[in-house]
Amino acid sequence: MNLFKWARTKSPWIIHFNTGGCNGCDIELTAALTPRFDLERFGILLEGSPRHADVLVVTGPVTLQVKDRLVRIYEQMPEPKHVIATGTCAISGAPFKECYNVHGGIDIVLPVDAYVPGCPPKPEAIIDGISKLIQKIKKE
Amino acid sequence: MGLDYAAVEKEVCKKMTAETIVSMIRILVFPGALFLFTLAFFYEWVDRKFFARLQNRYGPLHTGPHGILQPIADFFKLLSKEDITPHASDKLVFILAPIFYFALPLTTLFVIPILSQTSLISFEGDLIFVIFAFTLIIITVFLAGWSSINRFSTIGSMRAAVQMLGYEIPMGLVMVGPAIAAGSLSISRIVEWQSLNFWLILLQPLGFAVFTVCLLAELQFVPFDIPEAETEIVAGWRTEFSGRKLALLRLGRDLELVLASALITSLYLGGSQQFWLIPPIVIFLVKTTFAVMLLSLLRAVFARFRIDQMLSGMWKYLLPLAALQIILIQLGLGG
Repeated sequence: MNLFKWARTKSPWIIHFNTGGCNGCDIELTAALTPRFDLERFGILLEGSPRHADVLVVTGPVTLQVKDRLVRIYEQMPEPKHVIATGTCAISGAPFKECYNVHGGIDIVLPVDAYVPGCPPKPEAIIDGISKLIQKIKKE
Repeated sequence: MGLDYAAVEKEVCKKMTAETIVSMIRILVFPGALFLFTLAFFYEWVDRKFFARLQNRYGPLHTGPHGILQPIADFFKLLSKEDITPHASDKLVFILAPIFYFALPLTTLFVIPILSQTSLISFEGDLIFVIFAFTLIIITVFLAGWSSINRFSTIGSMRAAVQMLGYEIPMGLVMVGPAIAAGSLSISRIVEWQSLNFWLILLQPLGFAVFTVCLLAELQFVPFDIPEAETEIVAGWRTEFSGRKLALLRLGRDLELVLASALITSLYLGGSQQFWLIPPIVIFLVKTTFAVMLLSLLRAVFARFRIDQMLSGMWKYLLPLAALQIILIQLGLGG
């Protein structure tokens, strides 16, 4: 494995974006970052700016309002970049599916690399999703 | 006169090349650039790990033994990423600012004695040069934020410039304290004086405290991380930097941490002095690690001030304390 690929698997920095969910997944993601689960063990940091981040963690269904903004955040991230859809809403739209104001899951708009199901998913599940994404980066 | 000019010239050339090679190695490898990069990455790890332990976390754990390679992994990952220059930015300044931000602390570290009691470059007045370099670093920060033409960067860079007005004067005043005690404006002489007398932390504890607080502001560590307050203005003045430029900015920040801890060590903790059989470099590393841990302890136990609280606090409390320290030295206490 070459140096740069090793570096990429060891420090995926995430940016968190809520497209219009109920905040449940956001609380679980925050729990994954705080002392009890401590994602920094794997070199994962939460960044504020999309320019610094490698992984876009999206929670919530894509609403008509947020679609352009989501795409814009994604386009501001530097290559190579990845997307994780966290929670059932982000995967398919779940209870909001076919609502008048909702497009559906994230994969309608962006290429998604990993799905973490659950309503909301446990912090362990989110960590598992990120580790699967890292496995995927290794195989690229 | 049968002097063999060719032979003399050859001899001189040989000596010159040997000297040049030695000084090149000293500047580029040990204790110069390469050693300082390693030290910068190591101290970022010490800082992050200690900070995490204070928060009851583990910190970086799976990158190398106990996560010691984490800063290196971050650096190489950022090097391999796409380097975006925003269309609206002032391109020349935007490209040059990270280079300056990384080169300034590196250059300044050459005047600090690491290997023995004299530094790589030592002249009368290098303490003034260090104060000047600290100001230049903040001006680079201001230019970096200003050239990105981003509303968050602009706010961050303005805050950095305003913050500088607060801590610059107490820091300059307090750095004169060791110079008065040692009777010299050269850092190497101050270290030498401390090895013959007392450590200056014992003579000027007030100065040490004020200097540490000012260094927290200089490094933009937590009580004074106002220019890059993540919860308010995204990432402050570095919002628009990505890829290679961000890697240089992070390395520059780490070198600044090395510079700050080396200054605390040299001015107040006796610097790199021989102790019994232990070589000065080991003593220096132990002391600077202690200084880094002190800075991250303060980073962990405080919460962020507002910019106006920071400014008024600096002018109301820190500046009189710094002046008091100088007055005490003039009265014969601690000098």
